[in-house]
Amino acid sequence: MMINKLCNYLNLAKEYVRLNMLAQLEYKGAFAAQIIGMVINDGTWLSFWCLFFSRFPALRGWDVKDVITMWAVAAAGFGLAYGICGNALRLPGLIAKGQLDAWMLYPPALLPHLLFGKMVATCWGDALFGIGIYIIFVRPDIAHLALFLVLVLSTAILFVGFGILCGSLGFYLGNSQGLSQQWHDATITFSTYPATLFDGSIKLILFTLIPAGFISFCPVEALRQFSWQFTLASFAGAVIFLILGTVIFYHGLSRYESGNLMEMRG
Amino acid sequence: MNFFSKYLWIALTAARSNMAYIGEVSSRFIFLGVILYIFMRLWQVTYHETSASQLGGLTLTQMMWYLTITEAISLSATKVAQEVDEDVRNGTLAVQLTKPISYVLYRLATSLGERTIIFSMNLLIGAIIANTMVGSTPLSLAGLLLLACTLPLAFLLDFLGNFIIGLAAFWLEDTSGLALIYSRITWILGGLLIPLELFPYWLQPLVKALPFASMIYGPAKIFVAPDINNFVEIISRQIMASLAFSICLIILYRIALRRVFANGG
Repeated sequence: MMINKLCNYLNLAKEYVRLNMLAQLEYKGAFAAQIIGMVINDGTWLSFWCLFFSRFPALRGWDVKDVITMWAVAAAGFGLAYGICGNALRLPGLIAKGQLDAWMLYPPALLPHLLFGKMVATCWGDALFGIGIYIIFVRPDIAHLALFLVLVLSTAILFVGFGILCGSLGFYLGNSQGLSQQWHDATITFSTYPATLFDGSIKLILFTLIPAGFISFCPVEALRQFSWQFTLASFAGAVIFLILGTVIFYHGLSRYESGNLMEMRG
Repeated sequence: MNFFSKYLWIALTAARSNMAYIGEVSSRFIFLGVILYIFMRLWQVTYHETSASQLGGLTLTQMMWYLTITEAISLSATKVAQEVDEDVRNGTLAVQLTKPISYVLYRLATSLGERTIIFSMNLLIGAIIANTMVGSTPLSLAGLLLLACTLPLAFLLDFLGNFIIGLAAFWLEDTSGLALIYSRITWILGGLLIPLELFPYWLQPLVKALPFASMIYGPAKIFVAPDINNFVEIISRQIMASLAFSICLIILYRIALRRVFANGG
């Protein structure tokens, strides 16, 4: 029963991705430009770390390959998350403008339809970049590559869960776009620097309020040590944030007020 | 109203508009705080692990102030390329051409007015954060004066680069990718994230000669390490780069204007 339900949602996600991708491919030039632009954007940061490690070979035990792994996991996870669930990033705006009405007309459940409904085209550039740099620069064996892909999945789940959590603030605070954006951006920023830089209370924050530790620390350690404990920790963090985000979303939904907005949807 | 006063008035109006939305602008400060904190940890750990008192000729305090200035400059960037692109596509440029002001100078005045306010606020907040994080402030009157002299040319240079990219809208389907590439090249080769002295030795003469260094690295370096010889070198490079960019802009603008079509109605 549970497996059937999961398969149904995976099929739903597959169909939405197919339709969204077809919509993007209507403007092939712009789509390609956005993806290339994002790869170059991510490449800037990689250049920074390469320059840094050309002068300082190690940073609290991490070398350039570890930082590339961290970037690969974060970029590919982010890309996969919002390439499929693009509306997780738009949630605060949809709530503030009362634009959830249209999604409520779909068969239950609301959240999967809403999340899969939009694709952020540039995110496929992040996903390609992440997987590409891991294969090119780290040159993993098959086992590490398989583990890397598993960890990308856990990071994507975390990003989606955290996106829902940040976005659901809109149910409680009204127009929370600025705050949600800042909270989300802080997590992304922290997740692209080695977590080993931080100690004490900041480290605690990186596994709770700003869950960047589940992106920049656990997956990298899992791949460095080929450790199932760190892999499980990554998944545990991701699942907790997904459950937390979902619970808060549906709790907040009871406070939602329609915008009575008339609009044409393509 | 004489030639200069009308553009000064436009710059002041743009600055006043930014003051009116100070709450919205202040949301950038959270990001500034986060990024400065991360950089402080990164460089604290690096200085500690290398047991060095100076890296690239800068102490930890100077490094933090260098990064405060570079981030304040970078985060004050206005959306010149995007605005020019939109003006080209929606026909606003054709309308502007009928007015008794130069479109390029109008955009320049607006950009400088906005950027002065945003940079000042970034600097104020960055200074408070940097002072809290690394303690004493190496503020010197000479450093401030030299920074104030190099900043206008740095902003002008960045404006010219972005305006040229915006003009590409006459030929390209979408200039946002080009603008993104330009801004990221400026970040890396301009020394936003890491001072140019920490680049590989063979690369340093090249990146210092490029115009990107005059936009970010030059003003930040002259602030943390005031030196008159260095100042003269930076100003010379800024003037040379501004002249080269201006010539490119004038040529491109003239060619682009031939493609403007205006229909009455």
